[in-house]
Amino acid sequence: MKQVTIRMYNVGFGDCFLVTVPTSKGARRILFDCGSMAKAEKPISEIVDQVVGDLGTKPRIDVVVCSHRHRDHITGFASESWNDVDVGEVWMPWTEDPDDPEATRIREAQTGLAATLTRDADARLAAGVGLGAQERAELAAFRELAANSQVLEDAMEMLHGGFKKKAAIERRFLPEADAHGKPIRSFTSDLLPGVVIHVLGPSKSEEVIRDIEPPKGKSYQQLAASMDDPDVDDAGPEPFSSDWTPTEDPFEVSMAERDKIAAYGHGFRSWMAAALDDAVNGTSLVLLLEVGGKYFLFPGDAQWGTWDAMLRDPAWVKLLKRVNFYKIGHHGSHNATPIEFVESTLDKGLNVVAMASTRKFGSWHVPLPKLLDEMTARNVRIARSDKPKELKKPAFKLDGDVIETRIDVG
Amino acid sequence: MKRIESSYVQAAPVRRPLRIFATDPMVGTSAPRRMTLEINNEPSLAHGPAGERIEVVDYDGTHKRFYQPVNLNDPAILMQNGLEPTESDPRFHQQMVYAVAMKTLENFDTALGRRLTLTKRGRKLRLMPHAFHGANAFFSPDLHAILFGYFRADRANPGQNLPGQTIFTCLSHDIIVHEMTHAIVHRLRRYFLEPSNKDVIAFHEGFADIVALFQHFSYRELLRDEIQKVQGDIRRDSMLVRMAQQFGEATGRGRALRSALGKEKVRLDDSILEPHRRGSVLVAAVFDAFFAIYQRRISDLIRIATGGTGNLPQGDLHPDLVNRVSDEAARTAQTLLTMCIRAFDYLPPVDITFGDYLRALITADYELFPSDDLGRRAAVIAAFRNRGIYPGNVSSLAEESLLWPENEGDEEKPGHIPDLPLLQEAEGRGPAPLMQELFFSAREVSREMPTRKSNRPAREEWTVEPSVDEKDQQIYRILNKWAGEHRDALRLDKDLPIEPAGFHPVYRVAPDGRLLIEFVVQFVQTNAAHKEKLGGLPFRGGTTIVASADGRVRYVIAKPITTEDETPAAEEMEEAEPVRTARAARQRLVQEGKRRLRDQAAYVAAVDAVDPLLPYGGDDYVSRRMELRMNFAALHGDGE
Repeated sequence: MKQVTIRMYNVGFGDCFLVTVPTSKGARRILFDCGSMAKAEKPISEIVDQVVGDLGTKPRIDVVVCSHRHRDHITGFASESWNDVDVGEVWMPWTEDPDDPEATRIREAQTGLAATLTRDADARLAAGVGLGAQERAELAAFRELAANSQVLEDAMEMLHGGFKKKAAIERRFLPEADAHGKPIRSFTSDLLPGVVIHVLGPSKSEEVIRDIEPPKGKSYQQLAASMDDPDVDDAGPEPFSSDWTPTEDPFEVSMAERDKIAAYGHGFRSWMAAALDDAVNGTSLVLLLEVGGKYFLFPGDAQWGTWDAMLRDPAWVKLLKRVNFYKIGHHGSHNATPIEFVESTLDKGLNVVAMASTRKFGSWHVPLPKLLDEMTARNVRIARSDKPKELKKPAFKLDGDVIETRIDVG
Repeated sequence: MKRIESSYVQAAPVRRPLRIFATDPMVGTSAPRRMTLEINNEPSLAHGPAGERIEVVDYDGTHKRFYQPVNLNDPAILMQNGLEPTESDPRFHQQMVYAVAMKTLENFDTALGRRLTLTKRGRKLRLMPHAFHGANAFFSPDLHAILFGYFRADRANPGQNLPGQTIFTCLSHDIIVHEMTHAIVHRLRRYFLEPSNKDVIAFHEGFADIVALFQHFSYRELLRDEIQKVQGDIRRDSMLVRMAQQFGEATGRGRALRSALGKEKVRLDDSILEPHRRGSVLVAAVFDAFFAIYQRRISDLIRIATGGTGNLPQGDLHPDLVNRVSDEAARTAQTLLTMCIRAFDYLPPVDITFGDYLRALITADYELFPSDDLGRRAAVIAAFRNRGIYPGNVSSLAEESLLWPENEGDEEKPGHIPDLPLLQEAEGRGPAPLMQELFFSAREVSREMPTRKSNRPAREEWTVEPSVDEKDQQIYRILNKWAGEHRDALRLDKDLPIEPAGFHPVYRVAPDGRLLIEFVVQFVQTNAAHKEKLGGLPFRGGTTIVASADGRVRYVIAKPITTEDETPAAEEMEEAEPVRTARAARQRLVQEGKRRLRDQAAYVAAVDAVDPLLPYGGDDYVSRRMELRMNFAALHGDGE
């Protein structure tokens, strides 16, 4: 019996999935992401070597998919080991296309904001003013969140121009456009004979683009600009010189109030880091693989905007109802798996298998236990990379520290 | 008494003129327009300026220092109608913030027919013109202050400013009015900071924009300049829209507003949750109404100016025509502003929706001008309809259907609310008519009053001067007892404790010269049992009643909180008509209570789905998320 094999590597807070598909021309391999923000046990470089090792003596991956540019999905690609791997094609979302001006604009806005936010958070942590222990921990976590959206040059170089055959390898930015400029929703590839690839996202619709753009924060951009101003000292521009300050305080403002007011002035805002994170997640490539009548959904970290567009499309909903395997989006967070998908779309009778590559990070509610429970209540069998001992056999198998599942196809 | 001691000689002037920037100095390279505002004179205005209700405290939190407060009573300054408008003198900034804030407050005083108090726990409302380095300005309920930020224009992309120029949000008239409105609304309806449905935060934002926009349009000198410059057709809305679109341009705010005003097609949609986008539809609706009324009012001027041909001459318009047209526009703006503010007294105490606001607008205006001679209400109803704003529970959009339900007149019938106890005897004293107590001092009932079983967290306390505490206690007790005796008629739940959330008289002058006195009372009930499914907020309901001077209750504006129908089941035999009607009325009330609870929970889920902060916020965020989402600092900081 032919089987599709999916191996989830234990990267911690990140994604790295190796999928093996049986085709008429032999086994073909697809790699979905390779990165981590916080390791489980092994550092990402070791995981990379583990993956390459699993590829055998002549390491080859037919398609490398980078779902989106968040660091926790790409840090692995910075490793030199990939230069030994023969790759057929690299697929990325259209927002990664260096020749697309809109994509470039969005990317630059996102990475620019990420850099500023990270720098501001660092400044605030260094200053340490008015930060209790818990606040400090939360701020540090938000700093990581912001840094996650920063550009990782080495990894991007590998994805865009590396692996064994370097620039000779074709890079495809999905969804591609047809002769009329309309997005190609489904296609096949010689690299994966017998497989139909459905591209459910990211869409180019106005609403989704608005979600992908980082918080306009013109105010924020201006603030960042004034922090870059060489005339401005670390505290910010002086509106008036101290000549205007009287010798005695004319009014009473308590210390507690002064601290609160000072805190407003900081550029960094946790909600901005979260909104930026959301925006980058919104660029996630959402692929549904159709192999021998079975459907495998890999949504990256797609959030509400993309899901909303998907669930409003009757053709997509029809396919989504047939999903047999679901890589749980965004490490099991609340808005990466809409309740509508769980309640109305996933088919109980199909005994869906799902995998979540995740771990607890600080006080974040990721993965969300309630979400996983609701899926389990609908007959979805879930494997969490951080809980290998709780695997349900025979759906899953533990191979060392890699969780594997096999699904019969054809 | 000698003539020189008489009030004719001794009295302080009634008005104080103060100069301000009328247009943002940050917008446009041409010199910003200056103008002179007139506000009520506070003769003993102290350094700051510090008045009776607001004080300007120029503290800079980023640089941790004060700036010299201005003394507006300094003869040198008085002589010139205040300091010369300038960006470089912090004392002018203090002057401007004080002047514009007081003007806003006066608009509310006038429209609401009473003098508002802004005191909280003995503190006046503070305004801090240079509070922090940041491109933001917001009202902080916590600090009971409005904080204005400052920042440098981007060197690379200065837009219309000089590169590296310091931009002060406190020099924007529109921003000052917008934030002041938030502070005042919070004073009038403090539960409007609890987002119980998708309109609540949007209403706060939209209403603040409405006040800012129309206060701006009420200055005839500004309009005169703009209209003269137009060279185009003054009957078209593009000129006024363009002015409105300058709103908040420098700070990047008002983006949603600009797009809503510019396009007729922008309608309210259930899928629009973002507060600025939603609020801007409300603003656009009111603006449409304003423009319709304005067009009607200048139609005769156009006929006169064109001799009936309707063809305006090319080139510059005749200055007389410009004067008259700008007068009409300014007057219409003021009228609409007053109408919009006056509606507040007819709003429920909690859970506001745009539909509620429409009904309040219509009812308030109807009370003052029973016949809609000027077609104002018709214009408002049409404008709201075109923007897709409909109240629930009404059978049609005809004016009669939109009025709030009146109190059942027949005493025998169930649902009748008896008269307010205005002539009640106060405890331990002789007869102390409530009306007499209140007639001469408009004040709010203190919220620190002990309730029988209060499950309300004492987060905020509005206090009044200690000397009148005792009287207010008595008023409170009388009201509470009265409300407790008539829970059914007042649509209040029979078990939950009742909190009086406000009681004040309102004085208005009708066009025929009548002095109208009304009493407005708000009761609120809270059910904290549902906090978890409501994202940390308790479920609240309440009733606003409007009564005339003789105590007769006119209108009852209810948000039912009862979700269980405990009336015993109908008997087998035929019930008497009144009993059947009462039962049906109660069932409707319970249905409404259930619907509100359901909708509030659904709103929480909808907001959760799109909230990027939810996974990362931590336990405290999750348990209080609805409360934390209503955060002016964040709402105003995102450049929307």
